[in-house]
Amino acid sequence: MAAPAASRKSLIVSLILTIVIGFGSLATTLSLGWGPKLGLDLAGGLSVVYKPTTTASSADMNEVVTILSNRVNGLGVSGATVNLQGKNVVVSVPGVSDGRAVLRAVGQTAQLFFRPVLCQVAPASKSAKPIGTATMPSCGASYAMTEANLAVTPDSSSSAGYTNNTPGVDPSFANIATTKPALDVGKNYVILPTLGQSASIRYLLGPEQLTGQAIGKAFATQDTLGEWVVSYTLTGSGSPAWDTVAKNNFHQQVAIELDGVIQSAPLILPGSTTFTSFQGQGQISGSFTENSAKNLAIAMEFGALPVRLQALTTETVSPTLGHSALVAGLGAGLAGLALVLLYVILYYRALGLVILFGLAVTAALLWAIISALGHTAYAPSFNLAGVTGLIVSIGITVDSYIVYFERLKDEARAGRSVRSSVDRGFKSAWRTVLAADTVSLLAAVLLYLIAVGDVRGFAFFLGLSTLMDVFITWYFTRPLVILLGRRNSQSTSALSMAAGMNAGGANE
Amino acid sequence: MSETPVTDIDTSAKTPGRFGRLYQGLTTIDFVGRRKIWFTASLVVILIGIGSLGVRGFNLGIDFKGGSSWEVQAPHSSISAMTTAVEGAGLSNPTVEKLGSKTYEVTADLNSDSITVQTNITNAVVTVMAKEAGVPSNDVSTASVGPTWGGQVTNRALEALIIFFLAVVLYISIRFEPKMAAAAFIAMIHDLLVTVGVFSLFGFQITPDTVIAVLTILGYSLYDTVVVFDRVRDNSSGPNAILKSGAVTYGEMVNLSMNQTLARSINTSLVAILPVLAVLLVGADLLGATTLQNYGLALFVGLMSGAYSSIFIASPLLAWMKEREPRYKELADRVGRSEHAVLSPRAAALLGTDSTQRIAGVSRRPTSSVTPRARKQKRR
Repeated sequence: MAAPAASRKSLIVSLILTIVIGFGSLATTLSLGWGPKLGLDLAGGLSVVYKPTTTASSADMNEVVTILSNRVNGLGVSGATVNLQGKNVVVSVPGVSDGRAVLRAVGQTAQLFFRPVLCQVAPASKSAKPIGTATMPSCGASYAMTEANLAVTPDSSSSAGYTNNTPGVDPSFANIATTKPALDVGKNYVILPTLGQSASIRYLLGPEQLTGQAIGKAFATQDTLGEWVVSYTLTGSGSPAWDTVAKNNFHQQVAIELDGVIQSAPLILPGSTTFTSFQGQGQISGSFTENSAKNLAIAMEFGALPVRLQALTTETVSPTLGHSALVAGLGAGLAGLALVLLYVILYYRALGLVILFGLAVTAALLWAIISALGHTAYAPSFNLAGVTGLIVSIGITVDSYIVYFERLKDEARAGRSVRSSVDRGFKSAWRTVLAADTVSLLAAVLLYLIAVGDVRGFAFFLGLSTLMDVFITWYFTRPLVILLGRRNSQSTSALSMAAGMNAGGANE
Repeated sequence: MSETPVTDIDTSAKTPGRFGRLYQGLTTIDFVGRRKIWFTASLVVILIGIGSLGVRGFNLGIDFKGGSSWEVQAPHSSISAMTTAVEGAGLSNPTVEKLGSKTYEVTADLNSDSITVQTNITNAVVTVMAKEAGVPSNDVSTASVGPTWGGQVTNRALEALIIFFLAVVLYISIRFEPKMAAAAFIAMIHDLLVTVGVFSLFGFQITPDTVIAVLTILGYSLYDTVVVFDRVRDNSSGPNAILKSGAVTYGEMVNLSMNQTLARSINTSLVAILPVLAVLLVGADLLGATTLQNYGLALFVGLMSGAYSSIFIASPLLAWMKEREPRYKELADRVGRSEHAVLSPRAAALLGTDSTQRIAGVSRRPTSSVTPRARKQKRR
């Protein structure tokens, strides 16, 4: 580290570059509208940690993650994450106001229902109300998806192998809200949305005619034309039961409902003119992608999860409390920062201003990085533990300056000029800063690797700001102080560098 | 400007105040010589803490023992009103606490009930608390923790702690030397015991946040110690090492290093503690953020202990261990002072740049003029 030999030009370049990078990246992230991804405790929301009650293979657990992800995403909330931590599944849904409703949907033992499709209904109006336990009205005659209205005709010349009519959307249901999970039981008539489509596309379904227990296996596969389809086999008792359902709904649609969402609503045997037994197996075709076919297969086979889950911890944070925690954290951070700056400026005078400016650059860079990481979703979300990590790192960041400035004072005490002190002082301070930051980084990395949950977020932000400290000390503090030292050594004002460094005796 | 003899600085007629002495590098505190005082003080604090741990144990949060908690902001409620309300909802033996100025936290253990009963009670409590606070039920935060969760958290934390200890001892042994690693390690254990003792003594609640905070403290305490030891290394084997002059013993050199880094230690500790104090007062107390309060308390206690231990435990311990080595024993005999000489940083700075005769001058001087031990600065 050949600090003393640095030329004036290279110092200026390094200084300007650091400032430009710091504020430039801040301006970029701000103009892109990126912000940190707030954690549960700041944004409000829901977090559950599930543990399998029996030993489960990692394949089972991955399936659990897939199924839970589908359920959470099916609720239409954004930013939800489901992941494995060891043998536990952690579900985190930040930013929802009604965490407990989400919890019911996520935590329930899923039921797969086969229900007849009665008609498509209009989107819910703003004043729509749940129907409660009252009887659902019937579909208008022209909208009902009866065999006559659908008029399915096998037609080998069309690409699908049949043609059919599509009855219109019944407008009379606009005042009835989509059925809530609590009322979505087998015997009820329900209004439900369809997977992968807007929540405004809704269907009225009749009571359940068969449950997922009839399904043996289901898997996604490609047919001869390369289209994704879902093949399934039925259990011994499921086979005749399904035949009965299919016969009753011949040339009509049967919806496969999982957790309040219609997974698929195939027409029964549209390519045949008469009903024939399914012989214990069948195929659902439609406009599937590989993913949607696999998801449906999982839903059909594992309507219930492959293992039973037990909630280890459940947490819902109201957005109000989350917001006040955010305000408290930011308030505390800013108040602490102000106190620290006041102290260092009083103590170090002009050098205190270097700290002020240095912290501004560090903060700009940190904010930009946290926002960018939050945008890519690679980083842990920014929660209170993270805020604390950052607040603690104020101490570590400012300490690098203090170590340097105290070295400067030592040099001045030894009778050296400001000009030569800044170079010599940096050299010894830099070694100390590196040694100390290594310890801090070591702690952060170990914590990040070993710990779970909140601790990881904390370690991440602590480690990030420690790295930032090393970077800023070399590329910002060093050039700035050395340049100031070379320029300012004659000044005698109370704010001058000499005033901050002065040990009292060297210049007497 | 360096006409003044070294010794005159310490006995200078112009005696600045305590802060001025620190600022100007005139401190001559005998950290190493009075180690028995520091060690005894720490031992007493730690023993009290351990005693309290044996008698009272810890106030464990629901994350460790399992249970349920509810939280709501209710500016117009009271503890008794809230207790009546939640008991009406079916909670037996709830703990109701007021956090900050308006947040109420209710905790109870429902783990002996069936899942259905738990869900029903949880929802009933949410409803009555929302009613009591006059807010929608979505404004009530809930948490429920199964009885086995705490074990997992604790195990993970202990695992992290042990690996961290090993890594740190290894790093310092390689980067510095094994005896410094030992001293730093003991200082770290000191901070751990002090923090744990204070938490037990005052009945502060232990949550996963506390565990995080304790890990931070250990890291920070170590960071602080490393900075001081870096100076010790500089003074013992650096290019202008004062130890090589043969004018001071190892203990005196360590003591000088302490006085040299004292301004830094105090400034750094202040700078670290000020934001934590802000977290504690602004964040936790005024705004009632409990997580912040948990962090803040542990950090505050730990940082104080960490700042203390790197100055009063780690360095005197290092000096004590090193002075038992034959070569430093020999050095001490050669220096031949019956008493411990205490140099101020300013005096040492002048020594470092001046000629050998001046260094010789120090060793020839009667000890009384180099050691202004009469100063009663030790009271804290």
